[in-house]
Amino acid sequence: MIEKIDERYNVYRIKIRSMEEQDLLRISDQLSLALNFEEMLRLRAYFRNLGRDPTDVELQAIGQAWSEHCCYKSSKFVLRKYITGIRAKQVILTGEDAAVVEFDKDHAYVFKMESHNHPSAVEPYGGAATGVGGIIRDVLCMGAKPIGLVDSIFFGNLNYPYDSLPKGVKHPNYIFNGVVSGIRDYGNRVGIPNVAGITYFDDRFITNVLVNAGCIGIAKKSNIIRSMVDRVGYNLVLVGGKTGRDGIHGVTFASKVFKTGENVEKTAVQLGNPIIKEPLIHAVLEAVDKKLIYGMKDLGGGGLSSVVGEMCLAGGVGAEVHLEKVPLKEKDMSPWEIWISESQERMMLAVSDENLNQLMEIFSLWDLEATVIGRTIKDEKLILYFHDLVVMDLDTHFITSGPVYCRPYVIKYPAQIKEDMIPPEPNYNRVFLNLLENPNIASKAYVIRQYDHEVKGNTVLKPLVGIIGKETHGDASVLKPLIDSYRGIALTSTSNPKLTSIDPYWGAMSIVDEAVRNLVSVNASPNSFADNLNFGNPENPKVMGDLYEVARGLSDAAKYLKIPYVSGNVSLYNETNGESIPPTPTLMGVGIVKDIRKTVSSDFKDHNDIIYVINETYQEMGGSIYYDLMNYRSTIVPKVDLEKLNKSYKTLLKAMDKRLIKSCHDISEGGIAISLAEMSIGGDLGLEVNVSEIGNIRSDFKLFSESNTRWVIEVSEKNERDFVKMFSNLNIYKIGKIKDNGEFKIYDGKRLLINQTVNNLRRHWTMFPVEESK
Amino acid sequence: MKKDEIRIAILRIEGTNCEEESYNAFKILGTKPEYVHVNELSRGLKKLNDYQMIFIPGGFSGGDYVRAGAIFASRMKGTISMDLKKFIDDGKLVIGVCNGFQVLIELGFLPGINTDWSEKPQAALAPNISNRFECRWIYVKKEKNSCEFLKNIDDGKIIALPIAHAEGRFIFSKENEKKYLEHMIDNNQIALRYVDPNGNYEEYPWNPNGSLYNIAGICNENGNVFGLMPHPERAFSRYQHPGFYRNLYEEPGKKIFKGMVDYIVKKF
Repeated sequence: MIEKIDERYNVYRIKIRSMEEQDLLRISDQLSLALNFEEMLRLRAYFRNLGRDPTDVELQAIGQAWSEHCCYKSSKFVLRKYITGIRAKQVILTGEDAAVVEFDKDHAYVFKMESHNHPSAVEPYGGAATGVGGIIRDVLCMGAKPIGLVDSIFFGNLNYPYDSLPKGVKHPNYIFNGVVSGIRDYGNRVGIPNVAGITYFDDRFITNVLVNAGCIGIAKKSNIIRSMVDRVGYNLVLVGGKTGRDGIHGVTFASKVFKTGENVEKTAVQLGNPIIKEPLIHAVLEAVDKKLIYGMKDLGGGGLSSVVGEMCLAGGVGAEVHLEKVPLKEKDMSPWEIWISESQERMMLAVSDENLNQLMEIFSLWDLEATVIGRTIKDEKLILYFHDLVVMDLDTHFITSGPVYCRPYVIKYPAQIKEDMIPPEPNYNRVFLNLLENPNIASKAYVIRQYDHEVKGNTVLKPLVGIIGKETHGDASVLKPLIDSYRGIALTSTSNPKLTSIDPYWGAMSIVDEAVRNLVSVNASPNSFADNLNFGNPENPKVMGDLYEVARGLSDAAKYLKIPYVSGNVSLYNETNGESIPPTPTLMGVGIVKDIRKTVSSDFKDHNDIIYVINETYQEMGGSIYYDLMNYRSTIVPKVDLEKLNKSYKTLLKAMDKRLIKSCHDISEGGIAISLAEMSIGGDLGLEVNVSEIGNIRSDFKLFSESNTRWVIEVSEKNERDFVKMFSNLNIYKIGKIKDNGEFKIYDGKRLLINQTVNNLRRHWTMFPVEESK
Repeated sequence: MKKDEIRIAILRIEGTNCEEESYNAFKILGTKPEYVHVNELSRGLKKLNDYQMIFIPGGFSGGDYVRAGAIFASRMKGTISMDLKKFIDDGKLVIGVCNGFQVLIELGFLPGINTDWSEKPQAALAPNISNRFECRWIYVKKEKNSCEFLKNIDDGKIIALPIAHAEGRFIFSKENEKKYLEHMIDNNQIALRYVDPNGNYEEYPWNPNGSLYNIAGICNENGNVFGLMPHPERAFSRYQHPGFYRNLYEEPGKKIFKGMVDYIVKKF
């Protein structure tokens, strides 16, 4: 069935033309191709038609290219229908390694968010670190300077009992520390500030951790480089790290479900090296500025195989590559291993003969390896040599023509609107303090402080804001990317698995609403999104149904608001032993700040200022942290009124431009009570408010409801009249005043529900997960 | 000399990552900063002598997989440290921020007790007592010290600066601790000390790494080599300062950089 082609080299011919059907699957398994029966049949037919058998290099190349990870065979249909078609005038380029969107007349911002879930589950430190490394290269290869990182990470609860862990599953504590350290050590070393993200805990992530890493960069429009080459006779220059056995079959591995107890493929996780990356960024950007690079693409999933194939396909050319020229970490690697290795810190550059020498000089100064490994040719073919032997000769169109599936799906409508018996009213003070300690509400300073969020000196509004030593959570961070301009970029990330698992459609709408709220809170106009869709096994019709509904929700919201999804990825097969993660769409939201001098932070500023709540509060308790804490269930999740959202956010931005708003915080997990607490903590100021007017519902629902499209804002007495006038077409509620006596009091009518001190709130809020004395 | 004649070498090797904001700071002040890769010096493409000041920015030089700053320092030791010594003897300024401070200690130019160049490091910047990387704003107090270029900040003045490091705890070996610390105090070598907002020399978290004597920044006896853990280049404009959101328009980093530039203008 398998025969060596040449005595001297490890290259084999796989005789699939003569294989019986049961052997086809066996060979797919043996070579870790992760191709299914139909796909193997298609291969056999193709080579029968060609009149020859494939080499192992050829089969491996096709296995990579047809994997779920590379060709999106399950999700393409859904994405086309809902996500990728939203047009907006600010978008310059999509469909490449990262999206390019207009920043100002001469500049573009370039960004993407991508999951690195499977590797992080196996090797949390290395998996998370390479997730950061990969996303930086995606931005860099467009010719942009990376300026900000975003990381959204999801774990089981850290207090999960060790003896209840499924066999072979690592404890969330281990995974959490590994992931945070991996992100920290990579991002800090490479010197790109990590400014936003989510740290989320839910036991449904016990077996499948999620790591969604985002990066944004800035570029002159004239320096943007395409991820393709459309000219013949150009040099293919491989730069950066050496190629090794780390990261073999990463993409096929990410396209399978886990079974615990199976010998997990450690070699499938790549190893990152930020100290190659850091000079690589300098060298590449210098070459970009000198216009030496014609096309550029990062080596990620699928390695050389993907990068050469996709660059050539996009440009309508082919390539000849000499595999023996690729610098190796291990000398005895087989040609197929060299071709598909996913070793980190590598980029592929297409360079003309004329510019080659100058390019090589730059890389030499930075002690970086740069090697010409091949050349583009006119025929749309990939021809690979290993010394004098041809080891692959295939049509680029065939290699990259992965199948598209329209998988069966079942939509679960949470149709019966129902709520458990309305619970009795709680002990307000106790519940409130418990909420402050809840891992999804409590201070994330432990994580945020370990990331350098100020390196490069451009972070104007930081992820933690307020009085030095007493900081609170901000809504979005703001970067000032250009030295001679006050224009800024705001970044946020949102996700809410509790909502999306009860109601994928409205849950998806809610995370769009929250992304808009966060950006607007700092006076940024929402401009574009990246979407990461993390789901279970797509061969399960219910999982596909959730994917459809999430995509429909994301689509409806964005279409109305005219905010496009310009990049992102889909991560499927997040399932172990049949236990799937909840449907978890994550957004990275980018906002444009017209003038960073007018940005607004969330901490309260001054005694006696007036506190308003913008928009109504409803009894929509499904998926709320309050119900979760009390163990109540409801399928009534917060809805989104898109017209109201659109109107509200635009009005709020106008008020901020007129400097009427002194502080602003969105209302999300934990409701109004938690938003007020965070604002008090950061400004070290108390308050006295009365929530009687904000809704016609019970007191606990008023305090803890997570209804969408709401903000708490601070306005001075002097500006109150102008502020109220601007909001005449919306419902706003004056609830009370900021106090400098350190007391935190919330009334409903005459009932004093919450009576605390700001210091006590801060103490409870900073208890998790490691006590940080302040 | 005139401001626009001042040439400042911003040293870098792989892993240096705060050079851009440092470059911008000097550029805005009207001088001529220049990125200088250690390879360019060791290969003879550029010469230290052409500069009035060397600035070693923060980062993770060489990955800092050994002790922070050790790789950068050993690369310089083998190649350009004699030139650097002459540079210092000429009274020119050498400044190290964060990782740059670690490098100057590893090279033996700081603290420089009873010598201008110690063969072995006399002090160390050890792992933070919290045992993790911390990025946040803290307060330091300007102490009476021998750095001429810090004279534009009053002694006793409290300023806010950001820190971002995992290894910033200034220590001496136990046997030298008392002797060396007294020597540094007597010779006005301690320039900045961590304090709480009211100026008290407090423990962690106000002393963010647990440094001996709350030491945040020191100079040599001559006052022309200066190293500090906080990042003045990240506190250069008022928009970088968290106080901007509370109507405090302070630019402590700019004051420190401006002092250096004015000093060079006067001296050379």
